[in-house]
Amino acid sequence: MKSTAIAVIGAGPAGIAAALAAAEAGAAVTLIDEHPAVGGQLRWRIAPLRGLDDALDGLPVCRAAETLHERLAAADVSVLTGAVAWGLFEDGCLAVATPGGSFLLQAEKIVVATGSVDLVLPFPGWTLPGVMTARAAQIMLHLHRVLPGRRVAVVGEGPDAAEIVHDLEMAGAEVVLRAADPAQVVASGEGRVERVSANGERREANAVVIALGRQPDPELALQAQVDLGYSTRLDCHLPLRSELLETSRPGLYVAGEAAGAVDLAESFAEGRLAGLAAAGATLERIAAAQEALARARSPERSAEVDRLRPGSPGEARPETGVGTPWASWAEAAAAGGQDDALAQVALCRCEQVTIGEVRQAIEEGAVTINDIKRRTRAGMGLCQGIFCARAMALLLHASRGIPLSEIVPMTERPPTRPIPLASLVEVEE
Amino acid sequence: MDEARSIGAGDLRVLHHPVLGDLPVSRPVQITVDGQPLVAREGEAIAAALLAHGILVCRTMPRGREPRGLFCALGRCTDCLMTVDGEPNVRACLTPVREGQDIWTQAGLGRWEGPAG
Repeated sequence: MKSTAIAVIGAGPAGIAAALAAAEAGAAVTLIDEHPAVGGQLRWRIAPLRGLDDALDGLPVCRAAETLHERLAAADVSVLTGAVAWGLFEDGCLAVATPGGSFLLQAEKIVVATGSVDLVLPFPGWTLPGVMTARAAQIMLHLHRVLPGRRVAVVGEGPDAAEIVHDLEMAGAEVVLRAADPAQVVASGEGRVERVSANGERREANAVVIALGRQPDPELALQAQVDLGYSTRLDCHLPLRSELLETSRPGLYVAGEAAGAVDLAESFAEGRLAGLAAAGATLERIAAAQEALARARSPERSAEVDRLRPGSPGEARPETGVGTPWASWAEAAAAGGQDDALAQVALCRCEQVTIGEVRQAIEEGAVTINDIKRRTRAGMGLCQGIFCARAMALLLHASRGIPLSEIVPMTERPPTRPIPLASLVEVEE
Repeated sequence: MDEARSIGAGDLRVLHHPVLGDLPVSRPVQITVDGQPLVAREGEAIAAALLAHGILVCRTMPRGREPRGLFCALGRCTDCLMTVDGEPNVRACLTPVREGQDIWTQAGLGRWEGPAG
């Protein structure tokens, strides 16, 4: 079996920082990412960088990836791109699939830096071609230099929505409609988006961008069944972490947006701390990284992080009430009969399970996401539930009054991605 | 601009960008999509080449043949699965174009037509 001292999963800002820090502390590091190049969100965002270092600050974000790639090469980090770390088994054994075949990688310490995915909620027409996430639009605009459409509607109103509206307009697209609340949006068209309406306005459009924000995606840490606590800011469960960002599973760290980091500067600072801690760096270096991380965080975020520590008094305190910006979506989705506008809308895109079917499952007694999954197949498709679990949680909450903090994520199992069976047959020992 | 067009830039290409500058000249890559020849840019993802040419549908779903296209572009949602060189269920958002690539809109679960089938 191949081995490495430190495996870092995800080569975005946190993962790169972790890999560089661990290498700096003298450890052998393997950095794994499923995309064709390193950088993660650094490859496709163009806002100016802030709070990193003098060589990088001020650059458009996407200009930083190359510099960081050079630093990784100079630091002798073993970089595997186009590689999926699809399973985490006992004793730090990672299963990795690449186009050339699969192998097992024994890692003494693992840093999960798998970032986030877009938060999405279903609305009529959301499966039509032309409807995409904010990140998909950004990737098309900046990485591939293609407009998602000429006339674009944007759903959402937070910082991510502001960023994509700016990005779209800068690239020459026209933002024809903005809607804050996904519960108000209807997209329609023959085989693709042609029209969008929201709040009584109706526009011709050839793309709809969903920009509701992001949700942490610590997949391998969930697979390892680390202890979780609820974040009321993000309305989801996050891995509980020590001050050195280690989870309840010894040797398993989570850093960056996968653990709820707010911005790039925090992701970098978390990555650096996790990398140094995993590599067993000197206390001096670790203390300096902790100070830098504290500076990168707002007081509110620092307080949240303190509540999400294993064993701390505020740990996983169940918060009741909705307190979610998606309350109106949840109420609309839970309220209708079988013939309202949302009943026929797919909640689970992969398995084509409708909101009506999920309502029925809840009516028949489902009280957890796993219950809904077993009854309907929602969440059992190729995306592994990442794009429907939030909608299921909100529906359960609005229908049964269960606090969101008590609705735990569905059980994660390997593989994290669809992988060809042939690649398992040929696993290199 | 003319040069960019001559290498296969479709209508939706961002030729000029205030931050990123002009679209860099790239080697044209010849691919076929549902039997039709199409010129892509070296290094780009299949889904980007399609979108640039106004092609939005990557596959149809097993139930109701509902069309789907690019959704997350991160390799997570798998709405963009296509059949590429005989191999079904290839993620068009992550898979780069290659000279001579034979790409088909995938119907339902897809079928093997390649060497492994």
